[in-house]
Amino acid sequence: MLFSLVVLPSLNRHENETNKRESAKIIVFNSILMMAEEKMDLIADISIAAAKYANHLAMVIEDKKYSYQQLFHIVCQVYTTICNREGDVVGIVAENRIETYASILATLFAGKTYVILHPDFPISRNTHIAKQAGICCLLCTDLTHEILEPALTIPKFCTSVSDFEQIPDTERGVPPVIKESAANAYIIFTSGSTGEPKGVPISRSNLNAFYRAYRKLGWHLDETDRMLQMFELTFDVSVVSFLYPLTLGASVFTVPSGGFKYLNVIDILDSYQLTFAAIAPSVLRLSRSYFQSIQLPKLKYMVVTAEATDVDLLTAFRPCIPNAAVVNLYGPTEGTIYCTSYTIPKTGIKHYNGMTAIGEPFSEMEMLIADEDGAPLPCNVKGELLISGPQLMRGYWHDPEKSALCLLRRSDGKVYYKTGDLCYRDEDGVLMYCGRKDTQVKIQGFRIELGEIEYQVKQFYENAFNAVVIPLYDDNHLCQMHLVIEKKEEDTQQLVQYLQNHLPAYMVPSKIHFLQSFPLNASNKVDRKTISKLIR
Amino acid sequence: METSEIIETLNLIFRKVLKRENIVLSEESTAHDVPGWDSLTNMILISEIEKNFHIHFSFREIVKFKNVGDLCRSIIEKQK
Repeated sequence: MLFSLVVLPSLNRHENETNKRESAKIIVFNSILMMAEEKMDLIADISIAAAKYANHLAMVIEDKKYSYQQLFHIVCQVYTTICNREGDVVGIVAENRIETYASILATLFAGKTYVILHPDFPISRNTHIAKQAGICCLLCTDLTHEILEPALTIPKFCTSVSDFEQIPDTERGVPPVIKESAANAYIIFTSGSTGEPKGVPISRSNLNAFYRAYRKLGWHLDETDRMLQMFELTFDVSVVSFLYPLTLGASVFTVPSGGFKYLNVIDILDSYQLTFAAIAPSVLRLSRSYFQSIQLPKLKYMVVTAEATDVDLLTAFRPCIPNAAVVNLYGPTEGTIYCTSYTIPKTGIKHYNGMTAIGEPFSEMEMLIADEDGAPLPCNVKGELLISGPQLMRGYWHDPEKSALCLLRRSDGKVYYKTGDLCYRDEDGVLMYCGRKDTQVKIQGFRIELGEIEYQVKQFYENAFNAVVIPLYDDNHLCQMHLVIEKKEEDTQQLVQYLQNHLPAYMVPSKIHFLQSFPLNASNKVDRKTISKLIR
Repeated sequence: METSEIIETLNLIFRKVLKRENIVLSEESTAHDVPGWDSLTNMILISEIEKNFHIHFSFREIVKFKNVGDLCRSIIEKQK
């Protein structure tokens, strides 16, 4: 941590000299700290913690417990397999198993790049990702499970440790960290607007910039903490949920694959008395009817992430977590996991249409609210959020065209990523999230934010039901707004009346649909694309 | 109420909520075996079951249900 230099006025010459010497010392100390900070390496810190806390509990997966020694026993095995192989990109099949996490660590320790393939993805999608990424080998625990088209011949290695009792709890050590690797740390493939997944490569330098900033958020966490990892490994929040605890010597608890995720998450938080949890708001939305029977007094921090967080939902959940600080963390995958943070106060939460503020930029990131031409906008004026800084990817994997569409070099010489998120900065400098740019539509020349209509619908139902507005275009390319409510079908006369009273006529949806439950995508976000198909 | 009677009622509830006429549950059935039974529909199913049998499950009880048999035993227990 850096501290600021304060020079006090001196009383006499002797004191002045002493002060000068002290000041010089502080400046030297500061520069050493800065150098140390620049060299900070997330993987090297995990290596130190693994050696220091060898007997500590590293991970709990499906109620099985693994110490750092046991985890790193598997890491060493996988490391030996992949270390001298040609090629940088290692494919790993996502399974809720210790071997999967060990494979990710081994890949990072070896200075290589990991790409996650998911058993639930269609084989064609996995094959496309494997080909695009140029995977040199595949790590999995079941060699018989085909997840790639047979024509693609990639060497497969079985990482399975069939009986975990066989993992010796004796000193095995930690493999050396290849620090100066130019390879990326990971490539996350996200769905592209053209239907073909696009790769977001995150370098080790991006990851370390993220790590420096994340540490500065001031968490009071150490080797005694018990922390949740609930995210799919194909989603980047999993990276911090799993790796950050290991830098502290703390314990990571993953969510069982069977049953229902939202129930499993609350169950793990409760039965293992976790102290830190980053969760998607959908977990809270689904367990809302049980809030009165949930009590998590041990939870010190709850991070809400992955989608916009309803103020009302959080306020209702607060009594369940009486001792937790609640933090909203926002960031596109392209900017390495998170790049803004907002500590959500118990009262007086800053919000826009009920969506919690996203706060202030991470320490090394710069944010700009810009109009359609990329020109900066003043305080309180909505525009697209552009981000720049060392956490930002260089460009999409082998896709200069898509990169050129979203990366913008401004006159200050810096490269900015156009997030597609609409935001404004309030008078206190806090960033307010206003929804996706692509949920903004124009009807009869009027600019409409779908979030605003959704907000009014939720107000009508006193936040008891979720609602989305889907713009659909007819044969004449005319846009019609379809309101979809997560609720049993009912008469809509009163709702329409309410909307007519609260919105300009052009904003009142032309059709109203009811769906008993909204589909979610792999990142636990409401899947607007699928909803739009369901109502057609 | 016998387990078989409860399963018959559950079949009707599941068919209605999941909009699938061919659902036939057994004591061993889990979410894995029933298409459409996921986190979201589970919330709706539980609420419909509570209404139908005039009972209320606690969060702890719902977490412990591993299959339809567990659900039936809990319903029988609550109706005593």
